[in-house]
Amino acid sequence: MSTEFLVLILGYIFGFYMAWNIGANDVANSMASAVGAGAITIRQAIFIAGILNVVGAVFLGGHVTETIRKGIVSPEVLNDPHLTLIGALAALLAAAAWVSFATWKSLPVSTTHAIVGAMIGFGIMAGGVASVNWGKLGAVVGSWIISPLFSLVIAFATFKLIIRLVLSRAAALAAALRFSPLFVGAAMFVVVLSFVFKTPLGKQLALGLLPALAIAAAAAVVAGLLGRRLLVRLMSRNPLKEGAEGVFRYIQVGTSCYVALAQGANDVANAVGPLAVIYFLVKTGGIAGKVPVPIFLLLFGGVGIAAGIAMAGHRVMETIGRRITTLTNTRGFSVDFAAATTVLAASKMGLPVSTTHAAVGGVMGVGLARGLEAVDFGVIFRIILYWVLTVPAAALTSMIIYKLLMIFLPAG
Amino acid sequence: MRMPFVTMFLASPFDGLEEHAKKVKQCTGAFQEAFACHLSAKCVDFEEHRRYIHHLETEADAIKRRIRGHLPQGTLLPVDKFQLFLYLRQQDKVLDAVQHALDWLSYRDDPGIPPPLQPDFLRLAQAVVKTINELDRIVIGARDYFKGFQEQKRIEVKQIIRQVRQMEHEADQLEGAIKRRVFTMDLDAVTIYHMTRLAEIIGSIADHAENAGDMMRAMIAR
Repeated sequence: MSTEFLVLILGYIFGFYMAWNIGANDVANSMASAVGAGAITIRQAIFIAGILNVVGAVFLGGHVTETIRKGIVSPEVLNDPHLTLIGALAALLAAAAWVSFATWKSLPVSTTHAIVGAMIGFGIMAGGVASVNWGKLGAVVGSWIISPLFSLVIAFATFKLIIRLVLSRAAALAAALRFSPLFVGAAMFVVVLSFVFKTPLGKQLALGLLPALAIAAAAAVVAGLLGRRLLVRLMSRNPLKEGAEGVFRYIQVGTSCYVALAQGANDVANAVGPLAVIYFLVKTGGIAGKVPVPIFLLLFGGVGIAAGIAMAGHRVMETIGRRITTLTNTRGFSVDFAAATTVLAASKMGLPVSTTHAAVGGVMGVGLARGLEAVDFGVIFRIILYWVLTVPAAALTSMIIYKLLMIFLPAG
Repeated sequence: MRMPFVTMFLASPFDGLEEHAKKVKQCTGAFQEAFACHLSAKCVDFEEHRRYIHHLETEADAIKRRIRGHLPQGTLLPVDKFQLFLYLRQQDKVLDAVQHALDWLSYRDDPGIPPPLQPDFLRLAQAVVKTINELDRIVIGARDYFKGFQEQKRIEVKQIIRQVRQMEHEADQLEGAIKRRVFTMDLDAVTIYHMTRLAEIIGSIADHAENAGDMMRAMIAR
C-alpha cells in the first residue's frame, strides 16, 4: 500500500472522528435553548439537528475551510506535497487527540481552536516560526474575544427589546403577535443574507452588498407578514394557553433550525478541511494554492456530525433538559438569534468563529439583561483559559506527531 | 462531555428560596400548635412539638446552606446577590426567633403564662404567624415578575409586602398591649420579666418577616 493511500485512509478515519465529536459535543449550541425551553422534544431535536447539520455542511459549507488552512500558515511551506500531506494528517491527528482529551476531562474547548492550533504546529515544523502568519493569528484571536462579545450585545439588546415590546405589556400575547413580524423578519433577514453570501448557489448569483440587502429585506417583510398569519392561527389553536412565550416557542423552532444549519456550515470545515488537502494531494499529486472541497467530502463531514448527534445527542439533551430550566422561549430566541448573527458576521469576514462561543456570549447577554435566574460567568474565564491552552497544546501535539510521521512515513 | 453552554446554567436560588420560605411557614405553623398545646392544661407532648420544630429548623438550615453554597463567584442573577443573601438571612432569623420563643417558654414551665394573659398571647402568636404565611407568596410573586417583567406582577408583590408591614404593625400593637397589661397586673417580678420578654421574642418573629419583605422590595426595584 502506498504511503499516500494510507494517509488518505487515516485522514478519512480521523476526519470522521472529528466530525463525530463536533456533533456529540456541540449539538447543545443549536438545540439547547429549544429543548430547555420545551419548544421541541429530545427526539425531534436530534432528528432536526442531524438533518440540518448535513444540509448546512453540504450546501453552505466550504468558505471557512480555506481560511483555516491558508490564512494561518504561509503558502510557502506547502510547496512540498509530501510535507503538506504529512502536515495535514498530523494536524488532524493532533486536533483529534486534544479534542478527545478535552471530552474525557470535560474541558470546554472548541474544535475550531484545536484545528487552528494544530495547523500552527505543522507550520512551525514545516517552515519554521516565520512561516506562521502571526498577524492573521492575531485577528483570529481577536475574533474569539469579539465573537462572544458581539453575541452578548445582540442577545442583550434582543431580550431587552422583547421585554419592552412584549413581555412587560399587560396584553403580552397580543403584543407578541403584533410584533412577531419584527422578530421573524429579523431572523429571516439574517438567514437570507447568509444564504446569499455563503452558499455556492448564492455566490453564483454574485450579488453586490446592496442588492443582497434589498433581497434580504424583501424576504424579511414577506416572512414577517406570513409568519404573523401563521402564528395567529397556531396560537388560536394552542392547547396550552401559553401566551407570549408560546408565540416565541414557534419562532424558536425556526431559529434553532437556523443555528443547526449554520453550525453544519461553519464547523464541518474543522473536520474535513485537512482531509480535503490530503484528498487533493493524493488525487492530483500536486499542491495548489486553493484546494477545492468536493461535495462528497462535505457530505462525509455532515454525516459524521449527524452520527455524533444521533449517538451522543440523547445524553446531551437530557443534561440540558435537567439543567437549563430558566431558559424560556423568549430567552432562547434571543440566544439563538445572537449566535446565528454572530456566526454569519464572523464567517463573512472569513474568521473561524466558534459556534460555542457565540452561544455562550448569547447566554451572557440574556443574563445581563436580568433574564436568567442563575448564570455562571466564571465559565467564560474558564473558556478563555482553555482557549489559551488549546492553541499551544494542539500545536505541540501536532509538532510531535509530525516528527513521528516523518520517521514512519518517509517521502517516496 | 464538554458543553460550556450547558455548564453556564446553575441551579436557581429561587427554588431554594421558595423551599426555605415554605419550610419557615411550616415551622411557624408548628410553633402555633406547640404554643397552644403549652397553654392547654392537658398538654403532654410539648417536648415532642419542640423536637419537631428543631427538626424543621435543621432542614431549613440545610436549604439555606445549599443556596449559599451553589452561587459561586461570578454568578449572575436577576437580583443583587448580597440582597438575596440578606433576604435569606431575615427569612432564616424567623426560625431563630421561633426557637428562642419556645426556649424562653420552657425555661419556666411552671407556672407558665398566667391564665388572664393567655388569650392575648394566643392572639399575638396568631398575628405573627399570619405575617410568615405571606413569605412564600412574596418569593413566588417575585420569581413570576422576573419571568416576564410585567409591571402588574411587581405591583402585586409590592402589595403583599405592604400587607406584611401592616400585619407586623398589628402584631406590634398586640405585643405592646400585653406588656402594658403585664405591668398593671398583680404579678411577681420574675413573671413580669418572663412575660414581657416572651411577648418581645414572639413579636420579633413578625419583625423578621417585615425585614425580609423590605429586602424583597429592594430586589424588585427597577
